[in-house]
Amino acid sequence: MDKPHFIRPCTYIWLALMLLTVTTYSIGEAGLGGLTVMLIVIGTAAIKVQLMANYFMGLRRTRWLWRGIVLGWLLLVTGLITIAYLSTIK
Amino acid sequence: MAIWFFIFAELLAFGIFFVAYAFARAHNVVLFNESQQHLNITSGAINTLVLITSSYFMVRAVAAIKQNLSRECARWIAAAIGFGGIFLVIKLFEFHAKFADGITLSTNTFYMFYLSLTIFHFMHVILGMVILMAVMLKARSGGYSAENHTGVETGASYWHMVDLLWIILFPLVYVIH
Repeated sequence: MDKPHFIRPCTYIWLALMLLTVTTYSIGEAGLGGLTVMLIVIGTAAIKVQLMANYFMGLRRTRWLWRGIVLGWLLLVTGLITIAYLSTIK
Repeated sequence: MAIWFFIFAELLAFGIFFVAYAFARAHNVVLFNESQQHLNITSGAINTLVLITSSYFMVRAVAAIKQNLSRECARWIAAAIGFGGIFLVIKLFEFHAKFADGITLSTNTFYMFYLSLTIFHFMHVILGMVILMAVMLKARSGGYSAENHTGVETGASYWHMVDLLWIILFPLVYVIH
């Protein structure tokens, strides 16, 4: 039997997730901070969550309702985190 | 279907925790930034790589059972559990270092959040490993097939959720300042 078609894209997604993690780690190790860095780091995390939800969890093959709930949760949480961060900038 | 309600409830609980951390930080920026510098960002990053790889192994487990390869499916799940174990060991070293420094939940607000969030997540990793263990044993005994593998997909979904939460937790607590 042929291998399921989703293995190859998921392997690429795994590689992308590893690279994005190394990027976040490099930023953290360099001690970088500030609004731009924060937006890059939280944006990277949001992209990673979407990749994982859509490809690993297979949400892109399910009804829009499930994708919408996860996307809504992600936007709400990362949005509120960003608002909290912005409130600290004078 | 039921697993999705469970997953959404978990996302909601952690989401509230993440937002509470962010707003608590907004009221104690100096304290949070200073305390965060004492975290081991390398172990946090390695654990992220470990969980992502473990999740990928579960993708392969689902792919294997869709081909009716029960033994291969069980092996991928065993690998995912093994990486879950690596995550726990690294986290235990991290906790040990903090406790050895006399840090507890009551040290300050940052450590209250750091310990609560990471221990709460740690418990979810253990629960996920128990679920995967049960799925692996059933897969090994031929309990799943290409036509009937909901259990494998359910276990995988829970495991991906545990990983997904860590993907937010790591930058939020270890990196952003």
